[in-house]
Amino acid sequence: MIQARGITRTYQTHGAFTGAHAVPALRGVDFTLPDGGAVSFIGESGCGKTTLGKILTGLETFDGGELVVDGVELSGLSARARARYFRRIQMIHQDPYSALNPTRTVEATLGDPLRMRAKEIGGDPGKWRERAAELLTLVGLEPAAVLPKYPHQLSGGQRQRVVIARALTVDPEVLIADEAVSMIDVSMRLGILSLLRDLRTRLGISLVFITHDVATARYVGDGGELHVIYRGEVVERGLTDDVILTPVHPYTQCLLSAVPIMRGLEEPGPDRMAPIRALDERTATPGCLFEPRCPFATQECALTHPTLVPLGGDGAGVGSAAVDVGDLGDGAHVHACLHPAARRVVGVEIGAASA
Amino acid sequence: MSEVSVRALTIEYQTSAGWLPAVADAWLDLRPGEITGLVGESGSGKSTLALALLNAVPAPGRIAAGTVELAGVGDVTRLTGKQLRKVRGGALGYVFQASQNSLNPLKTIGRQLLDLGRSHEVADLRALIARAKDLADRMGLDGDRVLDSYQHQLSGGMRQRVGIVFALVLNAKVLILDEPTTALDMLSQASVLDIVRKVHDENQLSTLIITHDIGAVSEIADRLAVMYGGRIVEDGPLLDVLRRPSHPYTKALIGATARITGDVDAARALPGRPPDLTTVARVGCVFRDRCGFAVETCATVEPVLAASEDGRRRACHVEPSTVLSGASGTPAAVGEPA
Amino acid sequence: MAVTTATLGASPRARRPALLAFRTAVLRKPGRVVGLAIIVLFALMAVAGPWFYGRLEIDPDAVYAPPSAKHWLGTDFAGSDVLQEIIVGARYVLGTAALAALITAVLGTGIGLVAGYRRGFTDSVLMRITDFILTIPAFPLLIVLSTVWDFSSPWLMGLVLGGTGWGGMARAVRSQALSLRERGFLEAARGLGLSTRHIIVKELLPNIAPYVAMHLLLSTIAFVTAEVGLFFLGVVPFSTTNWGVMLNQAVFSGGALESPDALFYLLAPLSCIVLLTLGIVLFLDAVDELFNPRLRERA
Repeated sequence: MIQARGITRTYQTHGAFTGAHAVPALRGVDFTLPDGGAVSFIGESGCGKTTLGKILTGLETFDGGELVVDGVELSGLSARARARYFRRIQMIHQDPYSALNPTRTVEATLGDPLRMRAKEIGGDPGKWRERAAELLTLVGLEPAAVLPKYPHQLSGGQRQRVVIARALTVDPEVLIADEAVSMIDVSMRLGILSLLRDLRTRLGISLVFITHDVATARYVGDGGELHVIYRGEVVERGLTDDVILTPVHPYTQCLLSAVPIMRGLEEPGPDRMAPIRALDERTATPGCLFEPRCPFATQECALTHPTLVPLGGDGAGVGSAAVDVGDLGDGAHVHACLHPAARRVVGVEIGAASA
Repeated sequence: MSEVSVRALTIEYQTSAGWLPAVADAWLDLRPGEITGLVGESGSGKSTLALALLNAVPAPGRIAAGTVELAGVGDVTRLTGKQLRKVRGGALGYVFQASQNSLNPLKTIGRQLLDLGRSHEVADLRALIARAKDLADRMGLDGDRVLDSYQHQLSGGMRQRVGIVFALVLNAKVLILDEPTTALDMLSQASVLDIVRKVHDENQLSTLIITHDIGAVSEIADRLAVMYGGRIVEDGPLLDVLRRPSHPYTKALIGATARITGDVDAARALPGRPPDLTTVARVGCVFRDRCGFAVETCATVEPVLAASEDGRRRACHVEPSTVLSGASGTPAAVGEPA
Repeated sequence: MAVTTATLGASPRARRPALLAFRTAVLRKPGRVVGLAIIVLFALMAVAGPWFYGRLEIDPDAVYAPPSAKHWLGTDFAGSDVLQEIIVGARYVLGTAALAALITAVLGTGIGLVAGYRRGFTDSVLMRITDFILTIPAFPLLIVLSTVWDFSSPWLMGLVLGGTGWGGMARAVRSQALSLRERGFLEAARGLGLSTRHIIVKELLPNIAPYVAMHLLLSTIAFVTAEVGLFFLGVVPFSTTNWGVMLNQAVFSGGALESPDALFYLLAPLSCIVLLTLGIVLFLDAVDELFNPRLRERA
């Protein structure tokens, strides 16, 4: 069980001629991940979702906020104790090729962490081969065929499965899948996604699913929450199906509009839209961060910075109570927009009953 | 009628096991005003086929048989030297993936355009730059700024658009895009697809989009051609192929795509994994190991790409109606999963 | 040499995979075989040469004699057989180069890896030491030391050459380690909690091994040149089987650059150096393939 409150991360860059420059990657992200649950983060490239993934696995530090794992606040611990907690959270990278050591066989790659783990829990290190075979079968690979191979002898999908098997060697409780299927052929993605879903149901592992492809977020299993990140801020969140079918924030609506329509099988949503200009990090945005690109922006949007409020209110807090930290994790649909409006942007299946 | 006609094209690669076909007996037509999507998994031979249209198959590959007829020019596979260079860029525009570094990192975009113009002996370079700026502006780029930039200063989506500018600046009538949306996020992908459709319509081009993402290409394509194991297994108007797929592979591919609509549980991953050059079946249908409709003939006789209805082609022994209506059974031989 | 088809199907590993990989890599191109043969030839000379031959014979009647059936490469200023001197002298040259290379490899790689992986304070300290070593002028230092120490044993010379020459390797390995550090599999290894020792030795090292091996082979050439050069300049002690001394004698005493008499005396050690360098360079080609499993399977 992970609870993140107000996670903030700012990068300081020093240009030789431009001087010190602060780039905020995350501006206060909250979420709750229950045991066996799934939380998906969607956004375009550079929105901070990868930074979040790295923070959750301990590869990056955060500058503000708190990270509570199983009731223990991590910043209060020593580096060593923290490392023990982070071990329970394993990352599945985007690029399955660079995630495996090209000079080692699958057997070697799985062997070391398995032996280490066996010593840790007082098991028999000599039995690691059986455990490796067990894990490979669990991820849908045939052990005898895969163990002696080098990464370049495997297909992209197989490599990703080996990466997942390796992550499972240390019995993690949480898997962070950072664009885990983006570099795999579209036709093979479903296999990996169902594997992740299976791991949730069979082993009770929770999943943080980071992606730019919204459609894939639907396939990681029931009860998932979807968080939409824009420039380091969560602008809308709720149960996956709620956010996809009834988005209220213009940015979410732009992202969903961008999903390609399979003509003949689907029809485009009537309110489909796109941002009015490209992302330009240099323009100052004192109000809503999305305002320069929003097709529905008003004067007010440029001045007031909206906060997260439940559906039925606007981001300024008018119309409903502000979000309480205690509400997190219950899948409530909240958003950060001053003028939220439901729009039908997602494609509709031809011939299907309306969703 | 066709701008580009591919007939019986076979491309082989030399391996330690001899010459093996990466593309076998391919037939394809690109007509003016049509966008054709060539869809296939990794190793299906689609990129090799696209390179053959430029007669640019890299060693150790070679075009072993067949022709690529370009309207007004002749068989591209027979051209060499200067004639070939003229055709590449002048008649056929090729756009690489945004993630590939096909732009020179040491020169500005503008300079590279000038290089392009000079190597094609363009008389009026100023007009060339003006046309490039015009194309860039129409694609939502700041023409002046882009021409003065280096490739690392541009985002993936911008590089993709610059690639399209390069491909069209010499007034090519045929546009070939290799995986234009891979490695781009959703918003960039949507705008690139939009631009390709716009540019195609404005110039009445013959466009070929090569991709593994059947979902993305279905947004803008008019025709769909599906490749597997080096063969074209289905070919026809997009709406027909998607609504009534007549090849088991096409049907499975559509069913294996993660979609924003529809029943989540209805999606089925394809069993096994796609073959490559060395593992593709030499006898019978290349798809039979993963096919839920395979019958006895499939193991021994390779199906020929033949016309089925008006304007459609398929290479399958099983009746289209069976494929369309039947739920697929368990494939005969399933290898390791992908 | 026919190589069996490398299919993507499962294949049981050969019993001695390393040896098999070595054989395949070397036999793939004839140049590599030649290179390996040359290196082996010189190694044999170094190991067996001095045992094979007893003392050098002196023959005052046949000073600077041209090549003949008795003396294949002629004789030197004292009538001793040049070929014999070459073969015996190989031990010094290869011995020094081998030891220097070993020290460079161990120190340079070790320090570079630890500095590149650890970063921070450890990195700064190690790099300052490296910079200090890099600024030491090895050649002049050796000349000065030779007045106090006796360099008739190859081990001492090797020690000094290696001890002053590992700086470049350390810097190069460090930058490789820094860039590899961000690769997915290294982040994953850290995330899994594998020990630093494991990461450096089992994850990093195999990936920089080809780089280190190539660097090493190339610096061996530099070491050979350095020590021969030193003796050519007249650094004591004098030894008739020392290639550098032979060159020195040939040029300054035998007038090899003016008259044809001592020509073979000059050319013999010179050709050996060239031949050894050639052997190393030809063999270098196989090194990348040896360490990179991906290249081993190319048709």
